[in-house]
Amino acid sequence: MTPVTLALVATFAPAVAALLLLIVFPLRHKGAPAAWICLLGSVVSLGAALKLLVDRLGGAGDTRVTAPWIMENGRAMAEMGVLIDGVSLPMLVIVGVVALCVQLFSVAYMHDEAPRAFGRYFTLHALFLFSMNVVVISPNLLQLFAGWELVGLTSYLLIGFYFAKPSAAKAAVKAFWMTKLADMGFLFGLLVLYVFTGGFEWTSQPTTLVATWVTALLFVAVIGKSAQFPLHIWLPDAMEGPTPVSALLHAATMVAAGVFLVVRADPLFALAPGTREVMLWIGSVTALFAACLALVQSDIKKVLAYSTASQLGYMVAALGAGNAFAGFFHLGTHAFFKALLFLAAGSVIHAVHSNSLEDMGGLRKKLPLTTVAFGIGALSLAGFPGFAGFFSKDLVLTSLEGKGNWIPWTMLMGSAFLTAFYMGRVLIKAFGGELSEKSAHAHEGGPAMTGPLVILAIPALASGFLGGWIGTQMHHAHELHFLALTPVVASSMSLIGLTAAWFVFRNGGKAPFAGTLERLDAFSLVDKTWAAGYQVGLLGISGIAGWIDRYLVDGLMNFGAWSTLEGGESARRLQTGRVRDYALMVVAGVVVLALIGVLR
Amino acid sequence: MNHLLSITIAAPAIAAAVLIFVPNSNRVAVRMISVVGAAISLVTSIWVAFLYDRALGGFQLLETFPLVPSMGIHLKFAVDGWGVPLLLLTGVILFTGVITSWTLAKRDKEFFMLTLLLVAGVFGVFVSQDLFVFFLFYEIAVLPMYLLIGIWGSSHKVEPSGPFKFVWKRFEVGSREYAAMKLTLMLLVGSAAIMVAMFLLWVNSGAKTFDLQVLEATRFPISVQHVIFPLVWLGFGTLAGVFPFHTWSPDGHASAPTAVSMIHAGVLMKLGAFGVLRVGMVLVPDAAAIWAPLVGAVAVVNILYGALCAASQKDLKYIIAYSSVSHMGVVMLGIATMNAAGWNGAVYQMVAHGIMTGLFFALVGLVYERAHTRTIAKMGGFAHVMPVVAGFFTLACLSSLGLPGTAGFVAEFMVFAGAAKGVNWWWAIPGVLGAFVTAVYVLRAVKTIFWGPKPEGEYAHLTDARSTEWAAPLVLGSLLVIFGFYPRVLLDFIDVASQTNLKRLPAAVTAQVTPPAGEKVVAR
Repeated sequence: MTPVTLALVATFAPAVAALLLLIVFPLRHKGAPAAWICLLGSVVSLGAALKLLVDRLGGAGDTRVTAPWIMENGRAMAEMGVLIDGVSLPMLVIVGVVALCVQLFSVAYMHDEAPRAFGRYFTLHALFLFSMNVVVISPNLLQLFAGWELVGLTSYLLIGFYFAKPSAAKAAVKAFWMTKLADMGFLFGLLVLYVFTGGFEWTSQPTTLVATWVTALLFVAVIGKSAQFPLHIWLPDAMEGPTPVSALLHAATMVAAGVFLVVRADPLFALAPGTREVMLWIGSVTALFAACLALVQSDIKKVLAYSTASQLGYMVAALGAGNAFAGFFHLGTHAFFKALLFLAAGSVIHAVHSNSLEDMGGLRKKLPLTTVAFGIGALSLAGFPGFAGFFSKDLVLTSLEGKGNWIPWTMLMGSAFLTAFYMGRVLIKAFGGELSEKSAHAHEGGPAMTGPLVILAIPALASGFLGGWIGTQMHHAHELHFLALTPVVASSMSLIGLTAAWFVFRNGGKAPFAGTLERLDAFSLVDKTWAAGYQVGLLGISGIAGWIDRYLVDGLMNFGAWSTLEGGESARRLQTGRVRDYALMVVAGVVVLALIGVLR
Repeated sequence: MNHLLSITIAAPAIAAAVLIFVPNSNRVAVRMISVVGAAISLVTSIWVAFLYDRALGGFQLLETFPLVPSMGIHLKFAVDGWGVPLLLLTGVILFTGVITSWTLAKRDKEFFMLTLLLVAGVFGVFVSQDLFVFFLFYEIAVLPMYLLIGIWGSSHKVEPSGPFKFVWKRFEVGSREYAAMKLTLMLLVGSAAIMVAMFLLWVNSGAKTFDLQVLEATRFPISVQHVIFPLVWLGFGTLAGVFPFHTWSPDGHASAPTAVSMIHAGVLMKLGAFGVLRVGMVLVPDAAAIWAPLVGAVAVVNILYGALCAASQKDLKYIIAYSSVSHMGVVMLGIATMNAAGWNGAVYQMVAHGIMTGLFFALVGLVYERAHTRTIAKMGGFAHVMPVVAGFFTLACLSSLGLPGTAGFVAEFMVFAGAAKGVNWWWAIPGVLGAFVTAVYVLRAVKTIFWGPKPEGEYAHLTDARSTEWAAPLVLGSLLVIFGFYPRVLLDFIDVASQTNLKRLPAAVTAQVTPPAGEKVVAR
């Protein structure tokens, strides 16, 4: 098969699965068949992606094919197509592997759902994989936008999977609105690009001014999708969805689409130093801010959610520093270890029936495999030397050296310490210490649950060594180095953080400043500001508009009708029905006419 | 087959005529005749799409019958690239609308007769090549609405308030009689303006003819154009819901019975926009170019203000009705851009919105029939009892907020791109904002109506869509997705007509529409 066919198979196999499940609804309603069809679609998709990878290793080059999609004046205004190169291919494989693991895990995790809900879950998963692959193989920004919005849709539907729960319904709508608000930036960016270059290519070379506008607008969408400050607030709420969903969409792939967009549009961003400066700072602030909040969460999923926002901040900062490769590499390793962490957390939640860290404890005795998996993920996330996260985080930090008077570098080093510290906290609270009451009856799930943990643990450990290969694919020289300033400081941060966590949390202590942070978290100023903007701003204005339309604009129309009726009644009084009145009018008329005649 | 267009128009009209002789009691016959009439039009309109030669372009499938030759009036039918998708839309909406009304009980025969007659008028407008006949069909399409709403409609209460509170003493605002009367009167005032414009065209053409092709070949003096354009814009614009003459629409659509809302919001409002495009933009392009900034500015008001009004509504039908006002603003904005992207987008939006709003009203009717309320605050958790309805409603919402993969995205994106490319590039900003506000109010509606805990009490036993109720969601829902993924099905037709008509625009305007270098020319 040609590379294009393979890419189309990788993209459309899940789409066919989703369509089949949507149309042949008995399959969906029965539950189990839906899971098999969805998994089959994902396997085919991953198989095609792996075949592409093998071909690539055998020396195959880039492929790009497009077809006209929207017509304007006899020309293609927009095109759709396939692009397989050093960025899309690794991403295709990453998405395929993580998606398959998560879906497999879900079969066991979602086992207790009603058949219909089970079927709906897997239909949405197939739809998600299709949408995500549309993003990945995009040859231009318009198709990327289309896929981007579609993953937003599946995210909305999957967060709202437990739609009977008001909190889940609210979280789903909030996620959609926040990202949609930011996506207006994407749309405006596309329009500016279209007006000045006539297309939606990231390879077009507009002037610096245009490039700055376009990239700044695109970055607004990245802030929304990748949960950067101050639009990050939807991500912790999104944890209302089932845990495997959080693993796939809200940790590994969908939220990383923002980073992927910037990596793709790197030629445009390279023309816009101003935008990169902003990205550097927003990324750093998010990384530090979210890491602080991760420290005081009592819900294990929320710890991971804030940690995701924080790690995305690392990627964005690297992109802001102009090192797309570093950002992309961290995206890749993060996808594996964060998916692993979420699935391990899912395994814990499945065993304990609670999200709260307070209900957990001593789980290492009951869930040995999960403990190891979570430990690998945590160490990788903390940047423990040798684990995957170490290499990519090191690369991110190295690219920041000297940027912005070393301030972003310092902030991210601080976050690196905090990351190790809060992961240490979770490890100790959930797996260390004595068995808690709820943990007493915990046991590992079946092979469908532990299998994906084992599979994902491998890249979470080892994918750091792939950096060199990905670097070559992106035409970016990459060498591993251990004895430089950044790696030494970063690994020290990781070790100090873990050690500090051991001493602080070993006996159930609290982190310094935890009280302040908890109050900050509970008050959630950012959240309140957006809520006020919605309540007062949007709903307030709409209420006024509605009143104006009903009582002023329409009131004027009614007034017109009323005047006609009233005027008619007044005029009716002229028709008295009495002969003498008519005679008087005739005489008056004659007199007036005569006068006019005379005066002329 | 050279009478395809007249068959398309005649089929519903003949069905309506045949219905006169069918006894009221024979419910099956009434429905069968209606559905056959609708089906014939649907089939012929699809057939027209297959026969239309896109490479050739222009007006095709011409038919001429003299009507009043002494005044230059002929029944002259032909279809161009704009007409084909609109014929398809009308065929689909009529067909699904008739099936949706299957269970109607009250005076059903008369209802089907009027509906069929009305749609015959709509078909006529889209294919008429004679302005007089165009207007004639336009009136046929508009007038039955008075009876359809006045007899089969529903009333609701509007609290007296505001500076014009005293009008409540004279009429009951919100009642179905009020809605029917308001709709008819406002549209008739618009018709009066159109008629004046029509006769001005006739007089100034020099040829004493209403033939649109002759009129198109005439370049009217700019002074005449300046009188004609505003008349056409506001005359037809009233039906398209142009601010501030849109207020018939929320009350009218909220009061109308389901199928009538579907047809009225789905196709009738498009007649207005089509009139502005065909008569305004094409016949008097010089004045149109000068008036365009105002047309666009008002359209932008429509989009944003309509969306905001929709966000404040508590009655489900009003939400959908105001969303029509907002979405028709997108059509008018596309028309005002006067470039290929904008015009293609405008016509595409006519189809996209027609299908979407048809789907919306069909589902709302379905919910109302079961829950007997349209106040969204009283609903909740309906997805537990009617999952199919919930799914299709969500789909319609997604198209409404312009999600890629639905027809709404293609249309809105083209219109905004056309707007951004023009002199008044800032139009795109409120346009996109309007789409965001739409996301807010439609998803809030989905959340309130369908999500939440399983309903209890009287709503616990609501049922999902059944038998004939499946037709509209299935057909319209699939079309939304198909047109969203593969827009060239329609765009290849629309673009042909836009290319032809753009050539009539004054050189100053067309200068902007030349595509920038670097775009590929695609062989068809």
